[in-house]
Amino acid sequence: MENLEGRLTKLALKGDQRAFAELVELYKDKIYHLAYRMLNNRHEAEDVVQETFLRVYRNLDRYDDKQKFSTWIYRIGTNLCIDRLRKRRPTYSLDAEMNDQEGIDGYSMIPSDNVTPETELLLSETQSLIYEAIDSLPVKYRSVMILRYLQDLSLQEISDVLDMPVTTIKTRVHRGREFLRKKLGPKL
Amino acid sequence: MECKLAVSMMHDYLDDDLPELQQRELKEHLLSCTGCRAKFKELEQTDMLMFSLMHQTPVASEDLVGRIMNSLPKPKKERAFITWIKRHPALTAASVFIFVMLMSSVTFWNQDRQLVVRGTDLDQVVIKGDTVIVPSGKIISGDLTVENGKTQVYGEVNGNVTVIDGSLYQASTAHISGQVKSIDQAVSWLWYKVTNMFSEVAYR
Repeated sequence: MENLEGRLTKLALKGDQRAFAELVELYKDKIYHLAYRMLNNRHEAEDVVQETFLRVYRNLDRYDDKQKFSTWIYRIGTNLCIDRLRKRRPTYSLDAEMNDQEGIDGYSMIPSDNVTPETELLLSETQSLIYEAIDSLPVKYRSVMILRYLQDLSLQEISDVLDMPVTTIKTRVHRGREFLRKKLGPKL
Repeated sequence: MECKLAVSMMHDYLDDDLPELQQRELKEHLLSCTGCRAKFKELEQTDMLMFSLMHQTPVASEDLVGRIMNSLPKPKKERAFITWIKRHPALTAASVFIFVMLMSSVTFWNQDRQLVVRGTDLDQVVIKGDTVIVPSGKIISGDLTVENGKTQVYGEVNGNVTVIDGSLYQASTAHISGQVKSIDQAVSWLWYKVTNMFSEVAYR
């Protein structure tokens, strides 16, 4: 039996707007969640969701239904988030690792500036600690960590989404977790 | 076991990627090494916090779906045509090829206005301008094909007579033993060309 997403994309390709609305309904929260955690900003997250679905719509004919739809849409969403994060930051490279310590680079030096009064009010102290820690993660680790914990994606699935070898993903998950532990460890 | 190896095994364990045998080895190490035990606890806590955090779904605004659907480009008619072409490249290429072939054949048919006479026994035939005459009393043994000309048969033809894009006049004295074919339309002309080509190829 053909999967639901495959059928919906085919209907949407034929011009059925309701089929596409169904796809949006299925994936909007997941993509919003991903974008919100990546960007830590509601408005930007909603923009990313909108842009993701626009891209999906435009490229429906290129969707190969042998591939998982979730992998495809996560890839589009993740790339859009990464693009935004790159644009947001100053142009000099922060990805270059400083010191000889693993996982520590320019990003960790920049204080988080995304804590709005609203989020502060809603979050417990531990939660905001984690948010801060995630926000200070370098982009390449952040995307991997968020994907890892978001929908319980396996290392293989993350490697499909990001189009990188599993070994790289593994290393990044380890380093990312180590990074968070160092940030949170003393406070827990 | 070295602590460095234990740390990498801890990560593998948290990623559900550690074989059972090594899980036991790790456990033994953790029981004997307080430093690693503390580290493992911290890592596990970080892991759990991340999971719990990621399972609190933030809610997007109510009108997000509406906004997405409104922002989609409206489907156009020509777009459907283009997507069809994109989805059937082989069919498109084939139809373009056939179209070009057809066009070139048709132009050839229009341009080719020269009188062509073909047959096995052409000595008996008299050609005057664009008129091909089989005089009375003469016998042509074999087929006769005339392209782009008038054909007048007074004598005998022991074979087929084919007239392409021209006229055929048979006098009362005329006798044609084979088939008489008159071709003056592009399609049948094409058909004639194609069958002719095949039979030529076959007999060669």
